[in-house]
Amino acid sequence: MRKLLVSSFLIFAISACAQEPLGLKSPVVSMKPAPVFTVTQGKPGTASLTFHVTNGYHINSNRPRSEFLIPTSLKVSADTDIVIGGVTYPEGEDMSFAFAPDDKLNVYTRDFAVGVIIRPLRGAQSGKYMLRGSLKYQACDNAACYPPKQLPINFEVRIAKAPPAARKNPAQSPHSHR
Amino acid sequence: MKRNPLVLVVVGAIVAVMLWSGIHTARKNGTHAPIIGQIRGQVAPDFDLKSLDGKDVKLSDLRGKAVLLNFWATYCGPCKIEMPWFVELQKEYGPQGFQIVGVAMDDASTEDIDKFAKDMGVNYPILLGKEAVGDSYGGINVLPTTFFIDRDGKLVAREFGLQSRSVFVDHIKQALGQTVQAQK
Repeated sequence: MRKLLVSSFLIFAISACAQEPLGLKSPVVSMKPAPVFTVTQGKPGTASLTFHVTNGYHINSNRPRSEFLIPTSLKVSADTDIVIGGVTYPEGEDMSFAFAPDDKLNVYTRDFAVGVIIRPLRGAQSGKYMLRGSLKYQACDNAACYPPKQLPINFEVRIAKAPPAARKNPAQSPHSHR
Repeated sequence: MKRNPLVLVVVGAIVAVMLWSGIHTARKNGTHAPIIGQIRGQVAPDFDLKSLDGKDVKLSDLRGKAVLLNFWATYCGPCKIEMPWFVELQKEYGPQGFQIVGVAMDDASTEDIDKFAKDMGVNYPILLGKEAVGDSYGGINVLPTTFFIDRDGKLVAREFGLQSRSVFVDHIKQALGQTVQAQK
């Protein structure tokens, strides 16, 4: 019986290996778990999202050095109470690769952080909001490139109430009556 | 020897799932590894694509010639390395009945693809790729992907990613039937 189970497992393992398609088996880029970002009503804040590029691959930075290269870009959509003020990208790293040793490409490898500027409206309801978006990237390794991909992302934002505006007490008249 | 029927059922179910998964994956991804073993001798799927100069090009129109079918994209660095080799190989083997066909698999505009091809000095037709054509070739998930087709329109070899020039030469000779002649 044990032999039967072991041979079944072996067949399964061999079969799984044989079926492994060429190309990207899983996304080259993943988003690291993000904390809940807190922003205050009416005030902008930045959510820093960290992405990881699988070892052995690179993706173009947001400002690649060639017009033909596809830049990494993040799009985030938000509820009507929240305005996305923009996205800030890190500088890429200038690197040469075996397929073009004389060319320098501006790329992201390993970890890189993208900032999302979030501004809740002054009248936004306080509480937690889920923001969703997608990171568009195009990956290559030393010998091949892979079609552009969209990585769906989401992260939470907590809108905190703005502290009550300091009241200006009107100057009291010495003649005021209580 | 007594076997527990429940275990046999479980093993049978695992095998069935594996078979189903294998067939499903093969259908979804097309033929992958082992590359040559699976595609060699198959008829290269025909297609009808527009070239950069607006002509309709059918693969079947090239029957009688050995064809190198190269799927590439403007964003693909390794593809740029191969292109000058292809230009030379087209010059060298073209008179023997060899034709390179490039299929651009990207979202860039026709103008950009044209500019790119001109910058690279490409001397062979560049066609504007469609996903359906890529799918008929097993799905183009890696660029460059290059197929070698013999004079009868049958696949001889397939290569994923950047290869050495000598690999291309070997496959071209095979597609031209030169290797077969050499073995006789």
